[in-house]
Amino acid sequence: MQCKDIAQVIEQEGFSPLPEAARGHVLGCSACSSLIADFERILAVASEIPAEVEPPSRVWVSLRAQLEAEKIITDPAMVIPTEGSPWWQGFGQVIRGRMLATAAVAALIVAAGYVQMTHKPSASTASNTAVADAVPRAVAEPFADAGTSLDQEEQSLGPIQTASMSSVSPVDNSLRENLATLNTFIKECRKRLQEDPNDQVARDYLSAAYQQKAEILAAMMDRGRSVN
Amino acid sequence: MTVSPAIRQNFVSALLAMISAGMLLMPLASFAAGQKVERHFAVKGRPVVMIQNVANGRIEVKSWKNPEVVVSASQPSNKIGLDMEQVDNRIDVMASVLDSSAQESDLSENIQLTVPEETELQIKSQSGLIYVEQVLGDMTLESIAGDIHLKEVSGYIIVRTTGGTLVCTLCGGKLKFDSVSGSAQILQPSLTNVTLYTSFGNILFDGDFIRTGIYSMKSGRGLVEVRFASTDSFDLNAQTTSGTVDNRVEAFLKPDSHGIRRSAAKYAKGFVGTIGNGLAKVELSSFSGTIRILRRD
Repeated sequence: MQCKDIAQVIEQEGFSPLPEAARGHVLGCSACSSLIADFERILAVASEIPAEVEPPSRVWVSLRAQLEAEKIITDPAMVIPTEGSPWWQGFGQVIRGRMLATAAVAALIVAAGYVQMTHKPSASTASNTAVADAVPRAVAEPFADAGTSLDQEEQSLGPIQTASMSSVSPVDNSLRENLATLNTFIKECRKRLQEDPNDQVARDYLSAAYQQKAEILAAMMDRGRSVN
Repeated sequence: MTVSPAIRQNFVSALLAMISAGMLLMPLASFAAGQKVERHFAVKGRPVVMIQNVANGRIEVKSWKNPEVVVSASQPSNKIGLDMEQVDNRIDVMASVLDSSAQESDLSENIQLTVPEETELQIKSQSGLIYVEQVLGDMTLESIAGDIHLKEVSGYIIVRTTGGTLVCTLCGGKLKFDSVSGSAQILQPSLTNVTLYTSFGNILFDGDFIRTGIYSMKSGRGLVEVRFASTDSFDLNAQTTSGTVDNRVEAFLKPDSHGIRRSAAKYAKGFVGTIGNGLAKVELSSFSGTIRILRRD
């Protein structure tokens, strides 16, 4: 048996244990015994690597919230990973979930904006004011669902960004600074709408701010992925 | 200890060979560090050029009369990969980061493009100036932190930035600008449709409103300033939620002359009126910034 035969035997049958004929050759061949030793070391190191890397629990919480918001699931238990599923499949779901969520939030904002623009208060609505006043008032905040989804996006994205970047670039700084300023602006618009829920200008700016926030989060996610 | 002449001769020969090889390789090493690439693509009619630069750096696009697209790129390090491909009239240029652990200073890629006058552009960059001059065709230009300067371009122009500023000089066609903190300066335009939105930047429109044109300019916190000519004719609607309105054309502003009863929104400050015959439509808005409108002459 020669060295090339040993390689073939290892490829086809493995080396633990080696066939008798091969073992005889390896004992007298330093190259082949070195090769076998290398393989054994690789196997030993590989066996120490954990079979699965468990993502942080916040990932699952965020993912579940996003999928529920998108009406993709109704039962939260569906998104909990099974024992045997590899970690990268879970990560793939996270990425897909984020992209879907970003797209869904943008669509939600556009739809809500359209409804707001086209909705005109009718005379009958005005005449029913007394009835409405009798009921406890719970004025729904505009784009509240979109805002909650985006906040969750932001929370789950932040630590990933920090961990993935080898150094902080001016582009990442720009994204973070603009995101922070947008958050402040969103608060201003919301405050204004609490004071005057019918302020259409404030509503338009809030809608635009949420759209821009969704785009910034998508850009941050893209950058994280391209660097990795 | 003595060394035999044969061994010494071999050693000297080997040493000389190594020095010669080193001298030969020196220019190669410097070429790799400051690499320059140039590719020529023959095209017919109106090509579409797409550039995606995930690195930082300047992108410059100029036109010429030849039916050929020339892409020149320079990069200070080999941490950036540059791929180019042509499929019929579409040319893709993509710069990507090869080494994520590289220093920021190594991650730059300057791209120069020479295109036929009628060319469509799609450019996406991270930072660094995007400069386009004398190109006629639809274009979408996106940058996170880089500024975008356009000169004598025409078409349906879409510009999106996060923090970058747009300067558009002598632009024609339609313009849509969206930015978080970037400003927009529109100088001497011949644009028939303008939509400018920035959350925190300023907007300056210095030019004519073309009849039947529609112009919308909004800034969340910044200044929206419009300078128009005495010959311009447009309906004007300006409103702000908590900002201020600096109306310097009170004397020229007439009530709406088209019989449609309009007023500024109930919860906003502002004014509605007509300049001239009201042929174009101009909407100015700011959440908490300032709206200023004045005549240029």
